[in-house]
Amino acid sequence: MNILWGNIFRKKLEEESLAFFLGAVPVFAELGKRSRIQLETLVHVRTYKANETIFETGDPGSGMYVIRSGAVQVFERSPAGTEREVARLGPKDFFGESTLVVPAKRTASARTLEPTVLVGLFRADITDLAKRRPGAAYRILLCIAKIVSERLHVADYELLRLRQKHPEYFEDFRS
Amino acid sequence: MTPPSIPLTRQRNSRAQAALLFVALTAGIATGLAIYSSASAFIDLMRTATAVLFLPLLLALVLAFLLDPPVTVLERRCGRSGAIFVVYLLVAAGVFLFFNWLIPHWQNAWTSLQADLPRYTARLTVYLRELLDRMQAEFPFIDTHDLLGRARSLGEELVSGVIISTPKSALRIGGLMLMVPLFTFFFLRDGGRILRGCISLAPNRTFEMVHDLTNLITAQLAHFIRGRIIEATIVGLVIYIGLSFTDIRYTGFLAVFAGITNLIPYIGPLVGMVPGVLVALVDLGVGGQFWWIIITYFVVAQVIVDNFILIPILISRYSNLHPLWVIIAIVLGGKLYGVLGMIIGVPIASTVKIVLSEIRQYRRSFSLVDGNIDLDS
Repeated sequence: MNILWGNIFRKKLEEESLAFFLGAVPVFAELGKRSRIQLETLVHVRTYKANETIFETGDPGSGMYVIRSGAVQVFERSPAGTEREVARLGPKDFFGESTLVVPAKRTASARTLEPTVLVGLFRADITDLAKRRPGAAYRILLCIAKIVSERLHVADYELLRLRQKHPEYFEDFRS
Repeated sequence: MTPPSIPLTRQRNSRAQAALLFVALTAGIATGLAIYSSASAFIDLMRTATAVLFLPLLLALVLAFLLDPPVTVLERRCGRSGAIFVVYLLVAAGVFLFFNWLIPHWQNAWTSLQADLPRYTARLTVYLRELLDRMQAEFPFIDTHDLLGRARSLGEELVSGVIISTPKSALRIGGLMLMVPLFTFFFLRDGGRILRGCISLAPNRTFEMVHDLTNLITAQLAHFIRGRIIEATIVGLVIYIGLSFTDIRYTGFLAVFAGITNLIPYIGPLVGMVPGVLVALVDLGVGGQFWWIIITYFVVAQVIVDNFILIPILISRYSNLHPLWVIIAIVLGGKLYGVLGMIIGVPIASTVKIVLSEIRQYRRSFSLVDGNIDLDS
């Protein structure tokens, strides 16, 4: 067949679709196909250049980002201006999920390290979906709640370990 | 001998510069004028092109906001498009039944109104003349002739306008009946997608904030528009019921008029009263029924129902406009779009206020005014 005609009639490969990618992300791995297609209509795909700021500490946060391609650096900035890297993330990693449900300021900054495509999921879209399709919204939120509580659990455990190791640092917090 | 030649070249230079400046300025001004005239021609063209679309788009937007809640509820069962079809079917059935009931009444009322209108306007002129005579007796320096003539010609204009423009407005209403449901359908089905497309144009850095703010503002606007329409409908109904207790004619017209003018705060209710009071004065005279009509308009509809019950429940404090802004909005709207502009000027001003206060609220809640937070403190 002619290449031109072949291109026109070629179907979009399933592996290239956004829904397929979202299913491959660990957070949404448990979603069924229908919920994944719902999610696809909900997210925003944003393209970033290398070294572009995604958000800064103190920005109003309203959602989470999943990395589709590229690399992202999450860092803290001290008042003196020095930066400390918190994490370096690659494809299928996600960040910023703590502001998805409750409005809060960003507690760290994030920037891209190379040309990056991010998939953003925001609070306004989730609440809108909850009105229209409560079932789908419930399944998506459950996935996110699992991850957030897992992370909270790890943080709790880490705090407990630190408290047992250095009890003197925690004297101030008790009051 | 070089020194004397320097001023010469300088002079030549400055002359060349002056010439260049002159040419550049002339070209600049000419270009500016050309752009201005073509731009104003373009804007004129756009205005005439969009003038036909303005009213249907506005009505469709308001209708889309009104019908969105039932569509959203039904969407859980049968998908978005299906839900819109079901709601459309219900609305169409309701409208059909309503018109079925209305049209015989309407025709009677309309023909008798066409006969009665000159009587009412003539009576208005008489009242005005009496008022002026009394005023002239007290303040002899007021020149009255001009005012009276204008009032009479205005009344005659109104009567002839109503009679002539009936077929024309029927044509326009036919166009509206076709365009408004179509636009509403697409606003209901694709409104979210259109908004998403607009938001996605925002640069990466501000995208998140724009997205969040747009949703907050849309929610406030939907609340405001629904609240205003429901308020106007209930006030119209209350006036209809109140007037039904008396022998006054054209109860339906008067109630619809009062409901529509109720969309304008402060001034609207007063304007809405005028035809009712006039008809009552001409047909019933000053008596018990007349005072009952005044009480219905003022105390029952405005004070009790609107101010004590509806406004606290339906209208948020965000959309409260200062009376000065209300007057400015009415005048500007009237200047731009006539009577329609007077009615929609205030809601549009409220919309602008809602957008601004929502942005201010957002900035305050994240204290964006003071800049970044200090995590170490």
